[in-house]
Amino acid sequence: MPGGGRCPDCGSTELVEDSHYAQSQLVCSDCGCVVTEGVLTTTYSDEGNLREVTYSRSTGENEQVSRSQQRGLRRVRDLCRVLKLPPTFEDTAVAYYQQAYRHSGIRAARLQKKEVLVGCCVLITCRQHNWPVTMGTLCTLLYADLDAFSGTYMQIVKLLGLDVPSLCLADLVKTYCSSFKLFQPSPSVPAKYVEDKEKMLSRTQQLVELADETWLVTGRHPLPVITAATFLAWQSLRPSDRLTCSLARFCKLANVDLPYPASSRLQELLAVLLRMAEQLAWLQVLKLNKRSVVKHIGDLLQHRRTLVRKAFRDGTAETEPQEKELQEQGQGQGQGKEEVGGSSLDLPEGKRPASPALLLPPCMLKPPKRTCPMPPVPMVTGDENISDSEIEQYLRTPQEVRDFQKAQAASRAAMSIPHPP
Amino acid sequence: MEEETYLELYLDQRAAQDDLIRPRSPLPSSIVPFDVFMPNSSTPETAFSSLLEEVEEASGDFSSVDLSFLSDELTQENKDPAVARSKREIEESCKTPRQPLPSEQDAGPDLNSRLSNSHSHLHPGDADSVQPSLEKSTFLPLASITPMTPMTSVSECSGTVPQLQNVVSTANLACKLDLKKIALQARNAEYNPKRFAAVIMRIREPRTTALIFSSGKIVCTGARSEEQSRLAARKFARVIQKLGFPARFLDFKIQNLVGSCDVRFPIRLEGLVLTHQQFCSYEPELFPGLIYRMVNPRVVLLIFVSGKVVLTGM
Repeated sequence: MPGGGRCPDCGSTELVEDSHYAQSQLVCSDCGCVVTEGVLTTTYSDEGNLREVTYSRSTGENEQVSRSQQRGLRRVRDLCRVLKLPPTFEDTAVAYYQQAYRHSGIRAARLQKKEVLVGCCVLITCRQHNWPVTMGTLCTLLYADLDAFSGTYMQIVKLLGLDVPSLCLADLVKTYCSSFKLFQPSPSVPAKYVEDKEKMLSRTQQLVELADETWLVTGRHPLPVITAATFLAWQSLRPSDRLTCSLARFCKLANVDLPYPASSRLQELLAVLLRMAEQLAWLQVLKLNKRSVVKHIGDLLQHRRTLVRKAFRDGTAETEPQEKELQEQGQGQGQGKEEVGGSSLDLPEGKRPASPALLLPPCMLKPPKRTCPMPPVPMVTGDENISDSEIEQYLRTPQEVRDFQKAQAASRAAMSIPHPP
Repeated sequence: MEEETYLELYLDQRAAQDDLIRPRSPLPSSIVPFDVFMPNSSTPETAFSSLLEEVEEASGDFSSVDLSFLSDELTQENKDPAVARSKREIEESCKTPRQPLPSEQDAGPDLNSRLSNSHSHLHPGDADSVQPSLEKSTFLPLASITPMTPMTSVSECSGTVPQLQNVVSTANLACKLDLKKIALQARNAEYNPKRFAAVIMRIREPRTTALIFSSGKIVCTGARSEEQSRLAARKFARVIQKLGFPARFLDFKIQNLVGSCDVRFPIRLEGLVLTHQQFCSYEPELFPGLIYRMVNPRVVLLIFVSGKVVLTGM
């Protein structure tokens, strides 16, 4: 038995905690001698038999806290330890949970919601310290679905009146990329697929910044964009060996789940890179496509600021009077707001670079849906007369009522047949 | 940190584009009085003053204060499509529907009562009188309160007017109803007591749906204007009357209006959430749009990256 006490009579260590009516006693299970009675001791030897009591039980702090709240707080601490968060995060998350628990709506909520609340408190703490944790990760850890999580999260942010900063993209790139198992050769990862972590991280960061600038990140889940960017960065660092590897295979190799939108983000990112490539003189002659542009990603990223400015124009630049002026001055080479002088580009005479595409989010570039023209709203005062005939069209004739009742009775009878009488 | 330099770069780009306009803004001597809604509540003032301070502190930001002190002829410059100004333009384009109201009546108390009748502020039909409203609003007696973010009609350039999409209203028929009887005798009713404790009735003109409860209260949804909603609710009451219940039509009240509009330029939601943090909620992992809870008027806007905006709330 823990506690290491010995019976003074027979010397056995088999001491059992038993209670005699309301008094707890320590009794030797061999000879039956009562070693201690209650908590107060009479002799020095008695004191040696006392058991240790955990701090939380001795201070009584948990007596005011309900069991379900205690459970929740334990879950918060466990979750923080699983995520390997710094110790200060644990205290903050626990404080948020306690704060939330003071509201009656939370106290009366179902257990599932309280479980999800644990994740919400941890998420808020991480966001406030700019520690990148996605909601998807927390949902997987809590075995909760995203709908339940989102509802509770929005509610708790509003209830506690908290200011939660956005997910930090740069940090998320770092942690997410580091989780790819491509930095050491292993039986599943051949040597030609192994990559240096720093190089891949920096290139991925640049690609993600490029995606952000060209409207591929706003309004979308950040993770698929980072997956696509990591894939492109990895491919471009050794294109000759890696162009044959697909996105799905890449994720399997790296032991990372492939998020569903990642392939369409990849296509969008490649389209942006292709447009940028059209602005580089030495790439124009190569007539690149989506596969071959990967080999030149390094160059494109190096000059990305200039290339984006030249390859795209602001979507609303058409109405700008300045653009018209430029065109009138004959500077119109199809590039409206050109800030870099055309001298850096040695364009052969008579060859125009592709006219700049609109820099717009992909949802605005798709052809607009043909909305059926709304019938013009008639001017109604709300007090018009309502004709009887109009109302009567909504009422059943007596014959219809009888038919309907017969049909209902028949269907009820049909339903009740399987049941034995 | 990389993130900070990226933000600076983004703001610098916007600064480069807007530098054309900045030097020309005259000093705020001709203060355009802003919000004639002010007398009704004091808290929006403080909310806006805090917003103003916060906006001014942001370096390189184009607070609505700067450009709204421009005189009218310079508003033509505002056609420059600096995306960072989208935040301000949205606020002002959403304020557009309120501008026609001052233009209709100059009398102070009348204005006050009309404005406090909150459900009329999203009426699309009045938006045509936007142009004269700016001049007229300077002479309103109510408008001498501390001007906050002055309201220029930058909306004249954008010309975007929210269209009402849905009106939700309630009414009281003041009699107990037998839902089973209604479901039996009405063609356009459905009633599933295990699922929901109300009859769902639909009429064709105006195309609306009503939830009819046994207490005699009804909720009418789907109308595209307040008058249509009232007419529809009356029609539902008439149907109930014809079914033999002593229904009346009391306490008609508009509960919610939903409108939508398109500002026709893309919006940097992450930039908007940085400058208006206390009003915005943007979680791309959950929902692609940004939820902006405007304090004055109390409206919730769903702002999307494509420039489409949905406005709702009373």
